[in-house]
Amino acid sequence: MASRLTYRTDVWIDWCPGCGDYGIVAAMQKAFSELSLDPASTVVVSGIGCSSKTPHYIYANGVHTIHGRGIAYATGIKLANPELTVVVNAGDGDLLGIGVAHFAALGRRNLDITIILHDNQVYGLTKGQASPTLRKGEKTKSLPAPNIQDPVNPIALALASGYTFIARGYALWIDHLKELIKAAIKHRGTALIDVLQPCVTYNDIYTADYYKERLYKLEEDPRWDPIVSSNTIDEVEDKMSKALSKALEWEPRIPVGVFYVNPHVDTLEDRIAKRNPLFTVKPPARQPIARNNGEPLIGLEEFKKLFSDYIIKVVK
Amino acid sequence: MQREALVVVGGAQGSGIETSAIILASALARQGYGVLSSREYYSNIVGRHSYIHLKVSATEIPRSLSYPVNVVAGLDAESVFAHFDDLAEGGFLVYDTGVSKARLAQIASMEPETRAAVSVKLKSLGAGDTVESLVSTLESMFKVEPVGLSFNSILDVLAHKTGMSKSEVQRFRNSIIVGAIAGLMDIDQGALSYSVDRRFGKRPKLAEVNKALIFGVMDDVKGSYGTPLKLENPKLGLEELLLVSGNDMVAMGKIVGGLRYQAYYPITPATDESTFHETFESLKVDGESLGSIIVMQTEDEIAAVNSAIGAALAGVRASTSTSGPGFSLMVEGLGWAGMNEVPIVITYYQRGGPSTGMPTRGSQSDLLFTLFASHGEFPRVVVTSGDHLEAFYDSIWAFNVAEKYQVPVIHLIDKFLANITVTTPLPSLSRVRIERGQTILEVNSKSSAWKRFDKSDTISPRPVLGSGAVTWYTGDEHNEWGHITEDPRNRLEMYEKRWRKMELMDSEIPEEERAVLHGDGDFLLIGWGSVKGPALDALRRLESRGYRGALLQLRVFSPFPSRFVSRVLSGFDPERVIDVENNIMGQAALSVAMNTGFKVRKYILKWTGRPIYEMELASGIMEILEGGKSRVVLSYGK
Repeated sequence: MASRLTYRTDVWIDWCPGCGDYGIVAAMQKAFSELSLDPASTVVVSGIGCSSKTPHYIYANGVHTIHGRGIAYATGIKLANPELTVVVNAGDGDLLGIGVAHFAALGRRNLDITIILHDNQVYGLTKGQASPTLRKGEKTKSLPAPNIQDPVNPIALALASGYTFIARGYALWIDHLKELIKAAIKHRGTALIDVLQPCVTYNDIYTADYYKERLYKLEEDPRWDPIVSSNTIDEVEDKMSKALSKALEWEPRIPVGVFYVNPHVDTLEDRIAKRNPLFTVKPPARQPIARNNGEPLIGLEEFKKLFSDYIIKVVK
Repeated sequence: MQREALVVVGGAQGSGIETSAIILASALARQGYGVLSSREYYSNIVGRHSYIHLKVSATEIPRSLSYPVNVVAGLDAESVFAHFDDLAEGGFLVYDTGVSKARLAQIASMEPETRAAVSVKLKSLGAGDTVESLVSTLESMFKVEPVGLSFNSILDVLAHKTGMSKSEVQRFRNSIIVGAIAGLMDIDQGALSYSVDRRFGKRPKLAEVNKALIFGVMDDVKGSYGTPLKLENPKLGLEELLLVSGNDMVAMGKIVGGLRYQAYYPITPATDESTFHETFESLKVDGESLGSIIVMQTEDEIAAVNSAIGAALAGVRASTSTSGPGFSLMVEGLGWAGMNEVPIVITYYQRGGPSTGMPTRGSQSDLLFTLFASHGEFPRVVVTSGDHLEAFYDSIWAFNVAEKYQVPVIHLIDKFLANITVTTPLPSLSRVRIERGQTILEVNSKSSAWKRFDKSDTISPRPVLGSGAVTWYTGDEHNEWGHITEDPRNRLEMYEKRWRKMELMDSEIPEEERAVLHGDGDFLLIGWGSVKGPALDALRRLESRGYRGALLQLRVFSPFPSRFVSRVLSGFDPERVIDVENNIMGQAALSVAMNTGFKVRKYILKWTGRPIYEMELASGIMEILEGGKSRVVLSYGK
């Protein structure tokens, strides 16, 4: 059915020739390979849209869900079994439009999963409507009139929501993107990679040529240090402010690379384990719920002890 | 001495009547009585009128509530005005003489429609519009015994004795009510003492003050009125029992059933169940943790259901609990679970709709919604519970069926059951089994791709995420590998493979588990959910008058037990088959018609948001059997 080494499946990829999604899948496959991820312990979750077909093209568990809800599925998967590596792929419309409530809520939790945002400013599969990242006044190919809504800034939104690893990549810089994906997966906490990608069919503004002229790598500046090291309030504020001002850059130059990393925030898994250490010792998915004969683990004796507050002994 | 007693305790929301009810109920339970206590309240934190309606029995666990009651006890004037006509002739009205002069028109918290209706009632009795005028009218016309207590004098004495300030002692007002009722019923002091400790165990000072107050009032009331409501000695023969709400019972069932992931977004009347799970998340028995339940308060119900589906994919027993508005948001996820054959349990506590409707009142108006929610066709299970023990077992059954048949299960209950606290025997766990069907937690061949939707059998083996298999899922139509395909041949087969599970469940789950015929006779009630209790009690009441009828309790609506129901219906005159529901459409009757072709012709319906009471149901049945009516609309209750 597929090859483990390349993380490829034999499903024919039905994206438009030249689509940025190819670069993202290639970068993921390379990253998975270099991290030696076990396909059976890795779950690629997606929502709906062109980019959300990604799981079918990667040899790892794939969960292709409903529009906007990939993060919700990923949350349940990761909490049921925190030993799994969970990556969510979805488009800008999916994550920042219909699913933005989940995108914001995820930051509050710092669940240890990675979000790869396919950012091409249009809804491709429904034929080119404006997505939440298209700028006001812009008129891509199939819009009847210029866009009248302002864009959401994914990096700024992630910062405000509490994401602890925030980066931007470019779909056609596969090796650069691969490194970002590896770092995001290795990061303990919620990671976002905003991946700029041309939509060759519907976006005639943000083309490969457009990006080629404007993109630059943050790490080219030797003074750029996005990683919170001491975790003081001052340092966090300073690093967040710098990340925010980089997030606001667009014309004439657009930064890619790592914007912000704070490895010191406890993950949701840590917070749960603090309340119940068993969670990390034995993930819920591996906990027995029955005895060998099928009787529930909580038998009458355990029931009486557990719920003693609800039991009244009758006094004759 | 009487066999049973009915009591209403009213007061403003937030004034502690619930505490009063718990103390009374657990004291009576301690003595071995059966108790059932229902809570009616507004969608409000403080100030609106709420009340407890409680039934105690010496011979059985009460199954329903009824009017008139033996005692109305009011913490405030509004309770007296709202409930005076709930009182039986010769009943007891416990009230605060401090509100004697209060006028109906002054009660700002009373809704204008209610006030107008009360005003009409007062006029028809010839009573004035003050509490004292009403009390003397009730006394002379209906032989009501007023138990007027000066709450302020009692609290002044308490303040004096304890050194508390006048404002501090105010929070003990509801214990005056407890003392008065305990006096009239002659509740055992030891049982009361136990009950107060149980409630305030962690705050002994508070417990002592409450006890002193309750016992003092109790003695005074006994001295002045005797113990006119003393019950016969209890004959239930239980040594220990649970005192639990429906929410508690569902939570306990899920925990025994192996729940490991519960997601929810706050909503009345479902949330108490999730709070319960969070309290017991560590499953600590003798200091050892037997598991960890993840309880996630999500950003909305969409995340709740979809994260539960994710957790189920990874192999845990996962569920969410909600009510109508929340379920409305969940339906797209429900369809994904159906399409991907994921075992999840959605516990659905119905309340009054449509829209926000009456958020704290009950209904049974969402049955058809649960049967048809989400686009497309896929197998699902809809199971309903008629009482607390059923709710417990059904919660476990729901997980078993979900995993065996790889389907979403909707456990449909309602606000009435959720908020009714009852004494109930401990469940029998010896016959409970955890059945996980074809769930595979660990595969042998590591990292191999797996045909998750293998068409060679109706139920495909289900290696969970993390089992060692590599699997794919999609909401699109898919092939055996879980990859998208729109091929018509595959569609034909895969669509049918899913649907065959419906037929499989229908053939494997005994119909007698999906519908229950209670009793026999020459007329038949059809009911479901919390209609069970009042229906059985109404039938018993009518039997003593020479009318014998049966109840067909529908338990599972999907897959519907068509053959069994048809067989039962064929044994009755169609003109004497009566559908009883808390809705306007007769939704269960429509479901019967859809599945059996039998068109119900007689209906007793109620949609005021209040439970169906036994006495109104009994008279409704008589109106149909003897009065020639075909539809009776019930409306009793405040």
